[in-house]
Amino acid sequence: MSEPMNRLVTTPAAVGDSASNVASAAEPSAVFSVTDLNVFYGDFHAVKDVGVDVKEHEITAFIGPSGCGKSTVLRCFNRMNDLIETARVEGSVRYHGVDLYGNDVDPVQVRRHIGMVFQKPNPFPKSIYDNIAFGPRIAGFKGNMDDLVESSLDRAALWDEVKDILNQSAFALSGGQQQRLCIARAIATSPDVLLMDEPASALDPIATLRIEELMHELKSDYTIIIVTHNMQQAARVSDRTAFFNVSLNEKGQRTGHLVEFDETGTIFTNPAETATEDYITGRFG
Amino acid sequence: MDTRDTGSIGTGNVVHRHHDETRHHFSEILDEIRNGMVEMGSLVVENARRASVALVENRLEMVQGIIDGDKEVNQRYAELERLTFETLARQQPVAKDLRFLVSSTRILYELERTGDLVVNIAYIVNDLHGLPASAQLRSLVERMAAASCDLFATAITALGDLDEVVGRRLDADDDVVDELVEAFYEQIGKEREVIGLEAGIALNRLGRFWERIGDHAVNIGENTVYIVTAEFPGDTHLALRDED
Repeated sequence: MSEPMNRLVTTPAAVGDSASNVASAAEPSAVFSVTDLNVFYGDFHAVKDVGVDVKEHEITAFIGPSGCGKSTVLRCFNRMNDLIETARVEGSVRYHGVDLYGNDVDPVQVRRHIGMVFQKPNPFPKSIYDNIAFGPRIAGFKGNMDDLVESSLDRAALWDEVKDILNQSAFALSGGQQQRLCIARAIATSPDVLLMDEPASALDPIATLRIEELMHELKSDYTIIIVTHNMQQAARVSDRTAFFNVSLNEKGQRTGHLVEFDETGTIFTNPAETATEDYITGRFG
Repeated sequence: MDTRDTGSIGTGNVVHRHHDETRHHFSEILDEIRNGMVEMGSLVVENARRASVALVENRLEMVQGIIDGDKEVNQRYAELERLTFETLARQQPVAKDLRFLVSSTRILYELERTGDLVVNIAYIVNDLHGLPASAQLRSLVERMAAASCDLFATAITALGDLDEVVGRRLDADDDVVDELVEAFYEQIGKEREVIGLEAGIALNRLGRFWERIGDHAVNIGENTVYIVTAEFPGDTHLALRDED
């Protein structure tokens, strides 16, 4: 059994360490390789023929109009679509070369490696401290929990604001602080990848910029994929951008597909596809 | 659960990171552009001083080095223009950041043009095969070149420090260059019989090139003032100013 497969199936420790060692200095290695990805919800063909490579220690942004399938594709990276009964995923999603949908892959272990941050901050109804300590405790963490809580909150640029109120409820925090708490919670279990589904759309502009700055800091340790409606956010924060669009299939269903995937600078200064240019310049449809 | 699961969680020691500024990454890009322009300007000044030496000492072997030096200037121009362009597209700059980026595109042009003028001066070294023997002419060439190089170096300093006061002062300082150029033209006129037509034309162009370098320095200073204050000196846009 290969090393990453081994980890996904039994021991999810230290993925970032061994995986990053094989990365070449010039071109970052692919954390995910997606080919011919199709997602169905029952009869509904939600996403058609998507192929992308997600590079290590980069921020990859998925943009596009509502219904374009960007969130659906994001949820394939940690098998969140498994939680939807009618969902069916076809094609290949490889994580460090391992088929994420392989028979012996445990989706719970997948989610340990590939953390997720959601649109609406969703702290547990617990103290700030316990929000961070919860995941590591479940995982049987036996190290110094105080240090882990402190370093996780510091990595999420929240420590200075909460260090004196660690025992207060997480709900006492502002929306922006709650979202940074959720990021701290996600990184407390040392994931390899962070998936972010509209992580700033419920926040004010300054809190949004703080999250973006935090993402810049985090990418030295993690690989990040962000779905955002806010294409300016994708422009500001990401290294590569995938533009998804919607089209009607032969059954008259609105199916999402990938239009263009390139370096973010190229997408926002000289996109190859007219559809991309129309979308980013606001001349869409 | 396998205890090896927990091996990777936490590092033991808490090392605090610095989370100082909301848009730290954006500020770093702006610094990169500003530092890049200062480096580019320093290359131009260095090349201009070499051109001055080549001219006065009739060092023909230096000409190719000056031409090659300008290729590096052009390379930096292309890179920085691209970065500026991309930053405008990606970072939605406003206020001072917007003025800085838009002004950067103008300043990059001034720097690039000045680099070309230095190359033109180097070609004149080839054309002249040595300055005329006149001590007065030679002295004027040296002083004119030095004043122009100094003014340009001051403009680069003003830009690097975003120093509005120095930026504003350059226009007056440029009078020194203009006066030396005028005196140089007069001297060419006085010595025209000795110099001859061909050399006279070359020297005339030489004066023009050093004068233009001074003008580019003034423009860089005025753009610096604009970045800092949102107004050009004298409240008049560069393009609406009477050329003197």
